[in-house]
Amino acid sequence: MGMLIRIAWRNIWRHKTRSFVVLGAISLGIWSLIFLLSFSRGLIYNLIDNSIRREIGHVQVEHENYRQKREIGYLVEESARKVALMAADPAVEAVTRRLLVSGMVSSARGARGVQIWGVEPGEEGRVSFIREKITEGDFLPEGHSPPLLISGRLASRLGIQMKSKVVLTFQDLDGHITAGAFRVAGLFDSGTTPFDEGTVMVRREDLLVLTGGAERDPAHQLVAVVVHPDSAAAVRDRLTAVMAGDKVTTYREVAPEIALYESQIGMSNMIMITIFMLALIFGIINTMLMAVLERVRELGMLMAIGMNRRKVFLMVVLETLFLGLTAMPAGLILVEVSLAFFGQTGIDLRTFSEGMREYGMSEVVYPDPATDIYLRVSLSVVATAFLGALYPAWKAVRLKPVDALTKI
Amino acid sequence: MSMIVTTDLSRTYNPDTIPVHALRGVTLTIGSGEFTAIVGPSGSGKTTLLNLIGGLDTPSGGRVLVGGTDMSRLSGNALIDFRKNHIGFVFQSYNLIPVLTAYENAEFVMLLQGRPEKERRERVRALLAAVGLEAHMDRRPSQLSGGQQQRVAVARALAPRPDFILADEPTANLDSHSAENLLDMMARLNGEEGTTFLFSTHDQRVIDRARRVITLVDGEVAEDVRR
Ligand SMILES: Nc1ncnc2c1ncn2[C@@H]1O[C@H](COP(=O)(O)OP(=O)(O)O)[C@@H](O)[C@H]1O
Ligand SMILES: [Mg+2]
Repeated sequence: MGMLIRIAWRNIWRHKTRSFVVLGAISLGIWSLIFLLSFSRGLIYNLIDNSIRREIGHVQVEHENYRQKREIGYLVEESARKVALMAADPAVEAVTRRLLVSGMVSSARGARGVQIWGVEPGEEGRVSFIREKITEGDFLPEGHSPPLLISGRLASRLGIQMKSKVVLTFQDLDGHITAGAFRVAGLFDSGTTPFDEGTVMVRREDLLVLTGGAERDPAHQLVAVVVHPDSAAAVRDRLTAVMAGDKVTTYREVAPEIALYESQIGMSNMIMITIFMLALIFGIINTMLMAVLERVRELGMLMAIGMNRRKVFLMVVLETLFLGLTAMPAGLILVEVSLAFFGQTGIDLRTFSEGMREYGMSEVVYPDPATDIYLRVSLSVVATAFLGALYPAWKAVRLKPVDALTKI
Repeated sequence: MSMIVTTDLSRTYNPDTIPVHALRGVTLTIGSGEFTAIVGPSGSGKTTLLNLIGGLDTPSGGRVLVGGTDMSRLSGNALIDFRKNHIGFVFQSYNLIPVLTAYENAEFVMLLQGRPEKERRERVRALLAAVGLEAHMDRRPSQLSGGQQQRVAVARALAPRPDFILADEPTANLDSHSAENLLDMMARLNGEEGTTFLFSTHDQRVIDRARRVITLVDGEVAEDVRR
């Protein structure tokens, strides 16, 4: 066995150029595969994370009809008490409550239908990323006139800027049209066009003055982020037990497309690994067949002097495995280097960003290698090398020494 | 004592198309310790005969007994193992494994047999010294001359102490000086180790060193002379 390993290893280096080409191809293949898989994962988590951090959070508490009907009357009452209940859960990182009404924002220039969020800036800033998305001004600072946060995009549509005055018009809890004046105190850019064009934020207490019903301590949505997305379901179950009457959901139920994306990651990984293995296997068969055919006489000699078929077979298989095993670390090093780089700086997709914004993604994607991806790709390479070796090895043992020796 | 017995041995190539009768009923007995040359013009059947005796090819008729074993009854790995344990081979060319050193090449068959390290080392060193290559043990075949390569091949063939050594035109690719050297060395080892040598050649100076000369013509034994 020791001798076989020695021969097989040295045989690889007999045709240095060819071996380097094969090694280069395999390592580049490993690199591109892992990098692509990490990129697609980064892309999908970008999307998931964006919608979670922009809006929906991991766990939501709402009136059981709110999600379907979106009517102002479907309230969660005693919201402060319930927020405290949620915050007490060990897996919950942050909780906020929102009063949400549909209405209109109007300036001197025009008006737009929007969703008006009445938020509590301190808590909201810990749950959603909106605070980090503010491009100008502050997140609803306290002042003499009620502050409003609006996207830069919508502001320019309405011909307004910082400090401009706008009027919000909507129905109060009793069904009467009401209106209030707000002053633009901040501009944001969430990276998602539909959200930017359809959302404005004000302080919950300012909104509550206009909607009425403060004595019921109302909110439409209590939103929590949890330590890890995987614990969302457990948190939901625990909260359901204590939130009699209200409906507790997780991001998977609220945004089923996210659950779909998550399961698609696994699927697309399998497809890419399969395509890679197919390309690899033909490359390996080709190389090893060449290596066997140009050594016909040598193989004949080996069998003539007493090397049995099992050993000849093993020698060819070992040679192939060594090729794969040599290429693997090289490929993994490439992966490490490029992930170290792009993991820090991200991949800037600004060229396509208009399209990406529409889908609710941000412009910079950070490749996100799954923990098991190295193992899976490495095992695939070894398995492929092994499968690719079988045919050439079988060809080798089928040689008859006498024919092989007399081959010109 | 007879080492190799062939009885009415024949070999016809392409029996179904254009048959070539390479051997036509060769009956021979090679005794233990012989140093015998098979000679004859090109195409007379020397290689065919040696391949049949070495179990590399199967006869169309007759049989080969090696130390009492009927070669035609062996096949597959049993035949390979038989060769490994009983027969040493020296070919005209492509004898050595290019990626192994002279030492490793000479050791190779002993390794296949699973002989212990110490025995291998002593045997291989002694043989490489005997063939005058102790200074070149770590060279690869490409760093050796043709004559040196053939001497490594002889050392490898002898290392496991086979019953006999078959050498098909071992000097064909060598200049006459190297050829004589190789033959002298083979003759000496034949004397020292008592190993039977059966080799083919059409080189007169090589023939002169043989103690028995079997001449083949058109696949038949035309002459069998002992000296
Ligand atoms: N594989 C083969 N197929 C067909 N004919 C062959 C084959 N090998 C040898 N022959 C023929 O058999 C005859 C004997 O060949 P060979 O044993 O090689 O003679 P020698 O070694 O004495 O030159 C020659 O006529 C040769 O052409
Ligand atoms: Mg010949």
